[in-house]
Amino acid sequence: MDKVDSKILEELTKDARTSFRKIAKMVDKSPDTIINHYEKLQEKGLIRGSTVIINLRSINYEGLAAFQIDVSTDKSKKIDINKILETLIKMPNIIMATKTVGDHDLLAIGVIHDFDHMMKINEEISEIKGIRDIQTALWASGEEICSKYFIV
Amino acid sequence: MKFDQKDLKIIRSLQRDARTNFADIAKECNVSIDTVIKRFNRLKKNGIVKGTTILLNPRLLDYECIASFEVDVDPGELASFAVQVRKQKGIIFCTPTVGIHNLFAVAVQHDMKELSTLKENLKAFPHVRDIQTSIWVDDILLCPENFELTNLIKGD
Repeated sequence: MDKVDSKILEELTKDARTSFRKIAKMVDKSPDTIINHYEKLQEKGLIRGSTVIINLRSINYEGLAAFQIDVSTDKSKKIDINKILETLIKMPNIIMATKTVGDHDLLAIGVIHDFDHMMKINEEISEIKGIRDIQTALWASGEEICSKYFIV
Repeated sequence: MKFDQKDLKIIRSLQRDARTNFADIAKECNVSIDTVIKRFNRLKKNGIVKGTTILLNPRLLDYECIASFEVDVDPGELASFAVQVRKQKGIIFCTPTVGIHNLFAVAVQHDMKELSTLKENLKAFPHVRDIQTSIWVDDILLCPENFELTNLIKGD
């Protein structure tokens, strides 16, 4: 990571559509240099992608929920935690999922329209094979998630 | 506000890649580039789109330890505690919650030692009763496209 890299990250975090020409001017380099740096950052996986930040309330999402999931320890069921993770992230309204070490095995964050909707998602998750327990935490959608690492 | 198939396509394209050329989106929607630009600006003006951003991998920025905390704090002190938590180094998200615990926070830290120090600091606050920590392992899977947008289209 050098100065050019950090400038690229800084500018694109603020606005992912900033032109490379504009960034080039800021650091006094050619646009080609910026493109090279940008492509390397992508290759290394430092930049995972880019997305739009949507105002949740404006698209009728009143809140978010964190689902902390416990996976069954029943050996006879042959449960694959990675498969559960895959199923979770493919579900509509689930915007983030990860394995965790601690009191629970998985964490998924979802966007929710209202209380009924949350109950429905909860039910859908509990229907996934191998899930023993779900603990839900709910919050209103005004709270901003750091969009650099996540979305919303 | 009016929201139609074209708006939906614009948002979907940009959710997948915010740097998508407006010319490509125009071709996909069968409209002119000007129309795409106009619509994108309208989506911003109407407050549906707040902006665009890149998604970074915190682990490759030397933030090896990513964890979420669920905190039990005396309800009367929750608001002021949340303000304090947001000031802690490495906290990237913090919100009061409804559920078994009453605060949810996410932190990125360089190593386990830093994470443990942060947890001790949080625990040292008065009125904090308990903290439950989950350390995120492996890939953090993100899917910005999972937002439901089709229900916004009326009479289409």
